[in-house]
Amino acid sequence: MSAAVNRAALLVLAAALLAVPQFLPLLNAGFWTNVVTEILIWSLLATSVNLLFGYVGLLSFGQALYFGFGMYGAALAVTHWNAGFWGGTLAGIVAATLMAVVAGVLAVRLTWHYFAIITVVFSLIFYFAAMSAKPITGGDDGLSFSAPPVFDAFGLKLTLADTVTQYYVVLGLTALCYGLLWLILRSPLGLRFEAVRENDRRARLIGINVYLCRLTAFILAGAVAGLAGALFAFFGRYASASYMFYHVSGEATVWAIVGGVGTLLGPLFGTALLIVFRELVSTVWENYLFAVGALTVLVVMFAPRGLAGLWSDGLAKLSGRSASQPDPQAGAAEAPR
Amino acid sequence: MTIDKPGTKNAKSRNTKSRNLTRRSFLETALAGGAAYVSLAHDMSAFAQAGGSIVIGHHCELTGGFSSWGYWHNKCALAAVKAINDQGGIAGRRVELVTEDTESNPATGTRKLRSLVQRNNAAFIVGSVHSGVMLASIPVATELKTVYFSSGEATEATGEKGTRYSFRTGTDTYGLAAAGAPWAFQNLGKTWTIISPDYAWGHSHYKEHKAIIEKLGGKVHDPIFVPLDAKDLVPYLTKIPQDTEVLFSVFFGALSVAFYTQAKSMGLEKTMKMYSVAGTIEAIAPADLKGAAEGVYIVENFPRMLKYKDDAFHRDYLKAIATDDVHGREAGSDKVNAKSHSWQSWENLFALKAAIEKSGWKTKKDDQGVIEALEGLEMANSLGHAQGSKLLRKEDHSGIIDCYISRVENDELHVKKTVSRTEMAQMMPVRFDLSKQPL
Repeated sequence: MSAAVNRAALLVLAAALLAVPQFLPLLNAGFWTNVVTEILIWSLLATSVNLLFGYVGLLSFGQALYFGFGMYGAALAVTHWNAGFWGGTLAGIVAATLMAVVAGVLAVRLTWHYFAIITVVFSLIFYFAAMSAKPITGGDDGLSFSAPPVFDAFGLKLTLADTVTQYYVVLGLTALCYGLLWLILRSPLGLRFEAVRENDRRARLIGINVYLCRLTAFILAGAVAGLAGALFAFFGRYASASYMFYHVSGEATVWAIVGGVGTLLGPLFGTALLIVFRELVSTVWENYLFAVGALTVLVVMFAPRGLAGLWSDGLAKLSGRSASQPDPQAGAAEAPR
Repeated sequence: MTIDKPGTKNAKSRNTKSRNLTRRSFLETALAGGAAYVSLAHDMSAFAQAGGSIVIGHHCELTGGFSSWGYWHNKCALAAVKAINDQGGIAGRRVELVTEDTESNPATGTRKLRSLVQRNNAAFIVGSVHSGVMLASIPVATELKTVYFSSGEATEATGEKGTRYSFRTGTDTYGLAAAGAPWAFQNLGKTWTIISPDYAWGHSHYKEHKAIIEKLGGKVHDPIFVPLDAKDLVPYLTKIPQDTEVLFSVFFGALSVAFYTQAKSMGLEKTMKMYSVAGTIEAIAPADLKGAAEGVYIVENFPRMLKYKDDAFHRDYLKAIATDDVHGREAGSDKVNAKSHSWQSWENLFALKAAIEKSGWKTKKDDQGVIEALEGLEMANSLGHAQGSKLLRKEDHSGIIDCYISRVENDELHVKKTVSRTEMAQMMPVRFDLSKQPL
């Protein structure tokens, strides 16, 4: 039953996301289309944290580094090489992926707090390097640029200046990314990730190359964070080294935990909850981060498996199963785990 | 509120109605209600644009590194809106000010700018004093086709990164160099070193001052740029070359305090003249530095002491923002006015009032008229322009104003030289013509 409900919920979510640019302006709330765009982008960064923490058991506080490389890859490709939107996005992903290869080769040799510390250290090193390399990165001021058209042929020109176009481009790329991850996590590689997360010694005994598994997940997470960074650079028409700082990684970790780690769509829900909360509270109270912190504490205390956990517990109760019993046919919101 | 007892006529009637509620009638009612809401929302929006209040956004540093300045920008903007509304508003319409905090962060600033325009329907923006926020915001404001007044000093805002939509009534680094550098070169020394924070404002000051000093035949050493998060300036102060005659410092907030106190403890003022711009002493009282700023020369945009521009407009302005006329302190607190910059948040609203009324602006589609009215706008010395008469130059959208070179003596800023707007304009020929850009 819960698999069918999950599938129906997924369809409702997809329909709702598709309807956002049409529906919100009718309520005189067109600005919220941009907020949903931002949620989609940031959810990718939370997903990159989730891929490592939820599926391979590595808690990274350095994903902002790959986000920053994605931003600068896109911004520099557009400003210096006239790369266009798609070229810039690709440049962002490639830059972040290469950085993830370099950092990952060293970082995934470690686990637990040692791994967390080395990811922070990498993030700080490149944050300060980017701040110092002002002629290239713009340092504290960052780089602002005009976004190139997304499509310009046959007399049709689509630009990100149009909120609706921007939304659908981001939604398409985000959905593509989630779809690919869903395929990967259901594949034998995904099962290997889970085996490593659950017990790396046993995984090694049955012939799984644990180091290679962790490295693959690390590079994959870097590429996802890079896509998020490239999209955010186009969204803000701006790239800044400040996005490489570890507090950005911390925020992404909070979004993933609040949404539910080890679930594909959990980070999307966590990001949505906290960004909507921020948008509502920050207009009336400039110290809104206190409230965000309190909300996070409440979710962690009363729903330790996050929003996705709440959802699956509710479904389990409805179908008469114990919340701890796995549903063999669980759908996309909860599984793969 | 009334409560119907069970069994009464009203209650029975309601029960009958609820029994008659079908899925179809529920959907019809819900759709009708939704349609009515949407229609009402559209009507209210149209009213607000065409004949209701005029919404002006304030893009302000309420928190973060520039919060000590942002407090005053916010205070001045609120006071200006009150003064304008007390006088009957703009073209008979009430002004509504919506403020968003940029958090002194360029990325947050661009997000908040979109929020002001797209969420709060702000028609115009009086904007940021943080150069990084300002430069990141101008492309967004231009994309949103919204007039954006900035009060940061990086010259790019009305130069290579300026657009038809970006304006600034105050000075930029180009203007401050034009106003102060020739006098300082003649009176303080010919060999200069600049020390500043490593971001747009400091870089821009270095570039503009270097150009003028070298043109006058002086020498400018390599700049010393300090990271924004530095606490200890001694490693940077020790890099200042021995032959420096003029040390030109550009800092703000906590870095200013660190600079003055650490430079004093090293005795730098004994071997070189200390010269600066008002930003370095904004929101800081020399008395609070315990003599560390004594003898420093500072280019002010608006004299801190009333007696150096003593007129009724200046007095009334100080009264409106509750600031004393010697030290610039707020009545009832220790806060010191960021006076050389915050006046722009007051005056920009009056400049907009003049342009809106001159052009007959009614809605966003009339923005071209406002932009054309702002280009070349002459502002007379008045309560609305208490800093003094000024010109918003047509070509580069820059404010041409009187400036004041002051010296800290006995913890007070005493004006030594007034640089008239005519002298300033002569020293800063037009370099960019933004007025030819299409809208």
